[in-house]
Amino acid sequence: MKKLIYRHTSCSVLITLLLLLCACSTEKTNEQQTASITIEDDLGRKIQLPHQPQRVLALASSMTEMLFAVCDTASIVGRTQNCDYPAAALSKPVVNNYPVDMERVLQLKPDLIFTTEGITPLEVAARLEELGVPVYYQKYRTVEDIFSGLEDIGRIVGREQQAKQVADSLRQEVAQIEARHKNKEQPLKVLAVVNYDPIYVYGHSTVISDKLRILGAENAVEETYEAMSREAILKSNPDVLLGGTPEEMEKNFFSIYPELRKIKAYQNKRIYKPTADLMSRATPRVVASIKELERFLYPS
Amino acid sequence: MSRVLYFILALVLILIVLVLGLQVGSFESDLSTIAEAIFNYNPDNTTHYAIVHLRLPRMLLALVVGASLAFSGYLMQAMVNNGLADPYLLGTASGASLGAVIVFFGFVEVTITGIYMPPVFALAGAFIVTLAAVMLGHRKGQLIPAQLLLAGIALSSLLTAIVGLLTFLSDTESKLRSVIFWSMGSFERATWAMVPYPAVALGLSLLLFLFMQKQLNILLLGSDRAEALGVQVARTRWIILIVVSLVTGFAVATSGSVGFVGLIIPHVTRGLMGATGKSNLLFCAFVGGLFMLLCDLLSRIIYPPAGLPIGIITSFFGVPFFVYLLFRKNYNFRA
Repeated sequence: MKKLIYRHTSCSVLITLLLLLCACSTEKTNEQQTASITIEDDLGRKIQLPHQPQRVLALASSMTEMLFAVCDTASIVGRTQNCDYPAAALSKPVVNNYPVDMERVLQLKPDLIFTTEGITPLEVAARLEELGVPVYYQKYRTVEDIFSGLEDIGRIVGREQQAKQVADSLRQEVAQIEARHKNKEQPLKVLAVVNYDPIYVYGHSTVISDKLRILGAENAVEETYEAMSREAILKSNPDVLLGGTPEEMEKNFFSIYPELRKIKAYQNKRIYKPTADLMSRATPRVVASIKELERFLYPS
Repeated sequence: MSRVLYFILALVLILIVLVLGLQVGSFESDLSTIAEAIFNYNPDNTTHYAIVHLRLPRMLLALVVGASLAFSGYLMQAMVNNGLADPYLLGTASGASLGAVIVFFGFVEVTITGIYMPPVFALAGAFIVTLAAVMLGHRKGQLIPAQLLLAGIALSSLLTAIVGLLTFLSDTESKLRSVIFWSMGSFERATWAMVPYPAVALGLSLLLFLFMQKQLNILLLGSDRAEALGVQVARTRWIILIVVSLVTGFAVATSGSVGFVGLIIPHVTRGLMGATGKSNLLFCAFVGGLFMLLCDLLSRIIYPPAGLPIGIITSFFGVPFFVYLLFRKNYNFRA
């Protein structure tokens, strides 16, 4: 028994010593890194950077567009295989983002990686951080989220002024469009289809809902869910359907679901095909996307 | 006597779940709306339309597919004389998945002359794989269960790998969704035009095997003893094989592959009715249909409106019951 107690005490003494040692060393590093910056991303993750990032990389095609709108083009060190806008991005080295090519990332030596929620899994981000590359997430629910996202990027890379200018001019354009469609008596109900079989749509808490709100219309889906049943579509009875050319949708959508021919959008032939990238990517091109939708919703 | 009671109970429950299930959907509808929709149908009333053209075929398809899988599972277990067998043993499910995936990934037009291709290719895939398994699993005109089993497993793994490869190489999310829905099963696509195929296949097969139930029961004793008792084992096995691949093929082609039903319902049947009941196959089909109806209803209640992939529900509710059954002391695979 005595022996046991003795062992315990010696253990705790050792642990205390170790803890003290640790504490000393952290203090030391803190002193060394006075210039370090701590930022918090949209997911609430805290990220510590030793200095302002000089080399940045995006792991999502939308994020590449965001970076090109704000950053010094020379500071963007690569792009993913899907990034095709702006044209300048095409000359950057390619990093595969599915699965993430870790070695290629390390080779390009980014100081910070930007990505969006849902594109880069959190465990991939954790691995990248272990390898010494911090990852910053953004997420967007509204059009304004995209603009404030631009400003956040600006702050991080030290181009606050430039980012604010870009964001403000985009905001102004959106405000002009919004003013044209204020106080619609009967807002058009719009259903945006992503996938035909099974039927998936843009749910309510997506940027598309906000774009439609700006245009004085509304998402036909009132809930956040994205998997739809034919019955739910019949019930919402949308005025406008986005998801393909009328021919495409006739051939590959309404022929599988003939019951849906009852909806107003089909009866009134209001079926349109928006540009896929403009729909799916949250980028500064959101204004172009809203304008495209405006042409569909109000053709005259 | 209790067997008759079980039959009546199963039938009554099927009717109750059907009536309950018809009330669940996006449109508000109570019992009177349903009665009205069925007996006094008004084509301009969208609620009526949804009940008759969306909910009813969906539930009937679930009923038929559940019955088909349970029936096929029972036959399979009798044929290979092994309680681990299920209808997908010969690679039917992975063959169907690959067929559908080939269409979804753009190797084939999605609709050809107005016909939606995924079910067609799924059916073709199911048949081709079964055929391949049979070619590997027979010798001198005799099906060899152990060899057939191994061939089915090997082919399934190969096809699953190919589906995996295609899925991995295509990085669009929507294609992945199609694959998931196909491999987990769903009745959301059901239409009146779709229901007759699996229904007719099942009906004819049930009729055929009503006359063969005795041979099946004897087959459970093992092929040597069955042969000694005058059952033409080789012929019976071929008949089972053809029927199972047909019935399972149509089930998979219309609603994707739904796990567990074909494995557990035959055990439930034997647990309730005894291993050599005279009308086990029919009862098995009833219980399978009932179980699938119930699972589909739950999937729609838990995750409206489209419902969770059905395979998730069947496993969640099926496995605990299965475990209970296995630990009941008086249950035996053979009599």
